[in-house]
Amino acid sequence: MKSRWAGLIIPVAIVVVLALMPTFVNNYWLRIATGALMWAGLACSWNMLGGYAGYINFGQSAFFGLGAYTTALLMGDPINLPFFVTIPAGIAVTAICAVVVGGPTLRLRGAYFAIATWAFAEALTQFANVMNFTGGIGGLNLPPFLNERFFYYTMVGAAVLTYLITWALFEHSRFGLKVKALRDHEAAAEAMGINTSLVKLQTFVLSAVTASVFGAIFAYWVTFINPKSVFGGDITDQMVVMVLLGGLGSLRGPAIGGVGLFVINRLIWMHWGDTAFYIAILGAAIVLVVLFLPDGIAGLFTRRSTKSGTVLDKAVGKLVGGGEGGRG
Amino acid sequence: MPESGFASILSNKQSEPKNGEQLDLFLQTLINGLLIGGVIATFTIGFQLTFGVLHVIDFAVGGWVVLGGYLAYYISALLKLDGFLAIPVAFLLFGAIGYLIGPILYNVRNSRTARPELMALALTFGLFTLLRGGMLTAWGFNTHSVPTALSGESLTIGPVTVPMIRVAAAVFAIVIAGGLFLFLYRTRYGLAIRATAENRQNAALMGVNIRRLSANVYGLYAGITAMAGVLMAAIFSVNPEVGLRYTLFAFFVAVLAGLGSVGGALVAALMLGTIEAFVSTYVGSSYSLLAIFATLFLVLLVSPRGILKRGL
Repeated sequence: MKSRWAGLIIPVAIVVVLALMPTFVNNYWLRIATGALMWAGLACSWNMLGGYAGYINFGQSAFFGLGAYTTALLMGDPINLPFFVTIPAGIAVTAICAVVVGGPTLRLRGAYFAIATWAFAEALTQFANVMNFTGGIGGLNLPPFLNERFFYYTMVGAAVLTYLITWALFEHSRFGLKVKALRDHEAAAEAMGINTSLVKLQTFVLSAVTASVFGAIFAYWVTFINPKSVFGGDITDQMVVMVLLGGLGSLRGPAIGGVGLFVINRLIWMHWGDTAFYIAILGAAIVLVVLFLPDGIAGLFTRRSTKSGTVLDKAVGKLVGGGEGGRG
Repeated sequence: MPESGFASILSNKQSEPKNGEQLDLFLQTLINGLLIGGVIATFTIGFQLTFGVLHVIDFAVGGWVVLGGYLAYYISALLKLDGFLAIPVAFLLFGAIGYLIGPILYNVRNSRTARPELMALALTFGLFTLLRGGMLTAWGFNTHSVPTALSGESLTIGPVTVPMIRVAAAVFAIVIAGGLFLFLYRTRYGLAIRATAENRQNAALMGVNIRRLSANVYGLYAGITAMAGVLMAAIFSVNPEVGLRYTLFAFFVAVLAGLGSVGGALVAALMLGTIEAFVSTYVGSSYSLLAIFATLFLVLLVSPRGILKRGL
């Protein structure tokens, strides 16, 4: 058992590094750091529902896009609201949509929910493509604000807040226990008196709202959005891969997966440009993780039980003495 | 003439017909829609069967359709053969590939991870992404048409003129679907498949080897889906991005019919083809995807277990 304070060392170190980052790196790497934080936050938002509640959402990009489009519409002509006012507006729009989508479908088996969210995201993409007020396929421009440090620190704030909320709600509260209980056995959780429909809906709305905040910051940051860049299925794909790769249902899983995959993405982009090959890599990564690493990278270092040790220990044990395989 | 029914950028609304032509246009749209619906039915029936037996929602369905289309394109472009010759090749080739993938899906679905259902869904999602990315990398974003002996011909019955290729595709689709129904309802193995879809435990107790059956069903489904892909490529055209559209079709049908319902899939597929044809003709083809997604979404909200039959 680790002491209370030892567990604080890594989070504090991360926050210190994040706070001091702009003094050490140039603007180019600061942009990459900003993007990495955004993806770590988005992966965490997907993990709230996918990892802790066990419901796969294939339309998370819908909420990212709703946040982005709300901010773009409210900041652009003729409304011209200040940036930080548009975030609550995006949250409100997203929360309403999440209740409408999740309310009926979360009561059903996960498969219907996966299809419903996917259909919702694709419908929104098509809607944004054909409507005039969204700028159609050409998208919308936002008033440019060229201050990398502003966006970096805004993203740090959003990401740290996301992880704090996740830590408090899902790892250290009764609410988190309810969510995990319904993931592990929904009928049993219901029999224990948990209102599973309500808990699922709360988790879903929280997850959606988180994604919309990142969408709002992203829109202001890149100053130009179109349906493909904020609603596109690739955005959801990437979140799913990040969480699966990092590890479902943990706090560090999405952080590892999000930062790691985004940096790999940028390195590929630097060497080969914007390539379809990356999509194939994403797909292969999902397949390989599901087949060989269902607990993700974080799972390699987590002790499943004191007896069997970590997956790494077992692998080493197998290599050395042909130890007992399989999980208990 | 390959039509571009795909989500085109511009809203190419058709010119307003005169009064006398209105009924003809209506009939023509209806028949075109039903013919396409027939082709959609072939792969959605397989999709439903796969769900019934494997309990896996196959995101990769659109990937198999597109692969079948590319096979037809290469057979016609490189070997200078008729595109329709790709149909048996597609069935054998992708049937074999599906036969190899089936057991993997079965293992993941029945593994002892925390959420096998979720992992299997993620696996087919990954497979779909892999197929899409791989095809985009290998073959680029270009759209290809598949010439066949019947391309350009048309069939006129009374006031209605439909492209011959659509009629032929619908006939093929009826043959494929009919064969599948005969196999399911008139053979012992079909009985085993239906029994497994109904209750896996009982079927296993009766001596059905579920694992081997799953491999066979997935192979059968992948083969049929690729054949439907050949037909779709001959009617429209093929590029790696349209896979998404066919996955949507399968989901739409599955939701309308109720997941796993094979009979309902036939009706729902015909409905889908008709809806798409009418929206394309009367509103504009760029609205057809929006209309389908919106309908799918509304059905899920109003009657989430399907409107044709109670799903699983």
